[in-house]
Amino acid sequence: MIDPCDKCEEVLQPYLDRELTEAERFEAEAHLDLCGYCRKRYRFEESLRRYVRQAWSEGMPPELKEKLAALRTPIL
Amino acid sequence: MQPEVDARRIAEEARDRVRFEEEMLELSDQAYRVARRLVSTREEAEDLVQETYARAFRSWRSFTPGTNLRAWLFRILTNLNIDRGRREQRSPDTQPMEEGDYYLYNRLEESGAGNDEEQVVERLSQDTIVDALASVPHGFRDVVVLVDIGDFSYQDAAQILDIPIGTVMSRLHRGRRILKSALAEEATGDAT
Repeated sequence: MIDPCDKCEEVLQPYLDRELTEAERFEAEAHLDLCGYCRKRYRFEESLRRYVRQAWSEGMPPELKEKLAALRTPIL
Repeated sequence: MQPEVDARRIAEEARDRVRFEEEMLELSDQAYRVARRLVSTREEAEDLVQETYARAFRSWRSFTPGTNLRAWLFRILTNLNIDRGRREQRSPDTQPMEEGDYYLYNRLEESGAGNDEEQVVERLSQDTIVDALASVPHGFRDVVVLVDIGDFSYQDAAQILDIPIGTVMSRLHRGRRILKSALAEEATGDAT
C-alpha cells in the first residue's frame, strides 16, 4: 500500500500543470481536503512558482536595446 | 514593365523586412530576460542576445511568415547558447542532486522558516534563486527557464529545443526538483 502523502507528492507537479486526468485530480483533491501536511506543501509550491517567475526582474540595459536596434538593415 | 515589377517587389520585400525586424525588437525584453537566466553573467547574456539578433536579422528569409516568430527567435537563442556551452565545456557529467517535491519545504520548515507558506517562500532571496538556477545543468535549466520563466507552452519549448514533448515534460519535472534541491542547499547550507 502506497502512502497517500507520497502519492500526493508524486502528482504535485502534474496537478499544478493541470496534466492529471479527471479521476487522478479528484483523488488528489480528496486527499488534499483531508491532509493539511500536503495542502501546505501544495500552496508553498504555487507561491514558489510565482516567486521564481518574478525573481530578479532586472530590465534590459538601454545600451543593449540601442545596439540591437542598430543591427537592423539600413533602409536605403 | 519589368523594372517596374522589380521595383515593386524590392519595395515590398523591404517593407516586410522592416516589419519583421520591428516585431523581433519588440521581443527583445523577453529575450534578455530568458538569456539572463540561461547564462551566468550579465555580459554573457548581453552577448548572447546580440548574437541572437544578428543571426536572426541575417537569416530572416528562413522565417516562414504566419508561423510562431517568438518560438523561431528563441530557437536561435537556445541553439547559440548550447553551442557556447559546448565550447566552454561548462557542464561536466556530474549527477545533480534531485530530491522529492516536498524536500525544499521540509528543509525550510526544519530550519525554522515559519508556518505560513508565503513567509517560507520569502526566506528565499532573489540571489538564492539566481544561484540555484545557475547550478541546474543546461539540459534541465533550458526547459525550466523557457516554461517557468519565459511562459512558453510545452509544445513551443519542444519546438524551440527540437526535442519531443515528452522529453520537455520529463526534463521540466526533474529540472524543477533539481532546482528545489539546489535552493534547499543555498538557503539552509549556511545554517548547518
